[in-house]
Amino acid sequence: MAPQTSSIGTPTLPRLLLGAVVDNALVLALVAVFAVFSIATPTFPTLANLQSILVNNFTLLAIVAVAMTFAVSVGGIDLSVGTAVDFASFAFVSLVLSGQPVAIAALAGLGAGAAVGAFNALLISGIGISPFLATLGTLFIGRSIQQLLTNGGNPVYLPPSGVPEAFRFLARGAIAGIPVPLVIAAVIVAGATLILTRARFGRVALAIGIQPSVARYSGITARAHVAVAFILVGLIAAVAGLILSATVTVYIPSSGNAFLLNAIGATFIGTTLSRLGRPNIPGTVLGVLLLGIVANGLLLTGLNFYWQQVGTGLLIFAVLALSFINRRKATA
Amino acid sequence: MSVDIQLAPVIHFEPGQSDFASAGGGSLAAAALRAGSLIAFVAILVVFSLTAPYFLSVGNFGNVLGQSAISGVLAIGLTIVLIAGGSNVVTGGIDLSLAANMGLSAAVYATVAQFGYGDATAVAAALLTGGLIGLVNAIAVVGAGIVPLLATLAVMNIVAGLELVLTQNTVIPASTPLLTALSSSGPLGIPALAYVLLVFTLIAAAIVQYTPAGLRLYAVGEFPDAARAAGLPVRRLVAGVFIASGLCGGFAGILSVSNLSGSTTGSGEMLLPVVVTALLGSVFSRRLVPTVVGTLLSTLFVGFLVNGFQLLNISSVLVSGVQGLLILLVVSATTLLRRPEA
Repeated sequence: MAPQTSSIGTPTLPRLLLGAVVDNALVLALVAVFAVFSIATPTFPTLANLQSILVNNFTLLAIVAVAMTFAVSVGGIDLSVGTAVDFASFAFVSLVLSGQPVAIAALAGLGAGAAVGAFNALLISGIGISPFLATLGTLFIGRSIQQLLTNGGNPVYLPPSGVPEAFRFLARGAIAGIPVPLVIAAVIVAGATLILTRARFGRVALAIGIQPSVARYSGITARAHVAVAFILVGLIAAVAGLILSATVTVYIPSSGNAFLLNAIGATFIGTTLSRLGRPNIPGTVLGVLLLGIVANGLLLTGLNFYWQQVGTGLLIFAVLALSFINRRKATA
Repeated sequence: MSVDIQLAPVIHFEPGQSDFASAGGGSLAAAALRAGSLIAFVAILVVFSLTAPYFLSVGNFGNVLGQSAISGVLAIGLTIVLIAGGSNVVTGGIDLSLAANMGLSAAVYATVAQFGYGDATAVAAALLTGGLIGLVNAIAVVGAGIVPLLATLAVMNIVAGLELVLTQNTVIPASTPLLTALSSSGPLGIPALAYVLLVFTLIAAAIVQYTPAGLRLYAVGEFPDAARAAGLPVRRLVAGVFIASGLCGGFAGILSVSNLSGSTTGSGEMLLPVVVTALLGSVFSRRLVPTVVGTLLSTLFVGFLVNGFQLLNISSVLVSGVQGLLILLVVSATTLLRRPEA
């Protein structure tokens, strides 16, 4: 959605206010949800709980959603992020199980995720299949491969005695008092923000996403940029796979797909509710925070587990509806 | 909306090649692809007929039709949304709530039947549930202006949650005269569900392909601005499409209760296969656009594939892999054929 040069003549005060609300819809929604839960449950705004939100409801989804943002920024989507998470997790857990050093296993995991991305890149940039269909195909093929590798879907467990220290550190360690997964997520978020806003690659990627034909006529090598973006998606999602398997010390086939719809949700909430309507990392992160806060807050209200899912859906729905209605009013 | 996810023509890499320049070659390519996919369909039937015992029999074909009924009804519902929403998956037509809708409608049907109400009440309740979900989607998309991908994603979560609340994540058994009739065999020993699928497809195809309203859906989907300029009630048509797809979800819910003798959890698993089927359907149409009959063919294509694998004792593990390869093959062929000089 193009930035609206709002109205003819001097904008009135209510109009300005409405514009400000629309421009900051996501932040306002976060503040509102935060306020509601703070009033509803006294345990919500405590430091311990906020940290638990970041560790339990934020890190993994944030990493996967950042990956998704790269796919969306080149005008695509990646339905196989979960496949990259799974492949990384499988390579990591099986190599650690076979006694390889954790560092080598981790590298292999990252490589496995990047390979999923490279396969997508081949389909999208090489053959020219649309990202939605290409990654849908990868998702289905990936599911079969995982079942073949695990004799029809048996989890690969790491025995508690066989978990190396470095493996444990990845999930439960802390650097300067901050949990390692959170540090990794922060580094990825910061790096991705820099790449998308400061690096030439990021600007070109966004340009391709916004207007492919203009990018083409400007002599931009769209093929290469799209390919790199999708390999990045696989690589970043693989990091989430490593942390996930270190946390649960087991690889469960096709478990990464659990992230797919939430990652899409967070990315598009961040995209559509941002001022320019473009994919952006801060927006994605705020989207993930919104989903995490809602999940955690509903848990603390002691609502029946099944009602929590209804509540999450309703809240997200309400946030979306309100901001889209306001946007429509502001641009009318 | 600046995020454009094109379904069909993808990101064009070749400079200077306009779609108009290749229009002549394009229609030839489309014909080749359509013929190609039909040949592939027939080839699969022939191969399985020669290799798998019992494959080539009325009973087995009936079974495939019957087993495809639920996914077929859902895929046809999604096809209607694709037609009026256009091929852009994000800003255009998609209904991610369909599978969850089926689950909740099935749960409602089973619950109402368990309370001792008759079939008429239960059917009405299930269809009402599906229709209401469609109405919520319609209000969200047309009224509030939320992009369909996000709107139906949120509705999907709500609906899946409501199903859990209603069923407490358990199986609700149900048995009524209608369910018995649906799960029995009709004429020729073919499952009743097979006839249901055929009749449903006929009715849906008649409405979508042969009425003025159906033609308008294509107009709205392919060129909304032109449709609006021509005075078509674009908003009402799009809203109607989501309600229609919701009703399909409710109907599929009833069929699934009869198939499983109750409502079961895990309906969400159907979502992506149904999306694949509906998207693949367009290769079975003359102009490579979504059509009801094309979707039926792609549903049966997948159905026969799964069935043949089972008869040949090929591990079911491979089914999703073959489905994935199939999408990629078909779509690569489409893409490569569309740019002859590449």
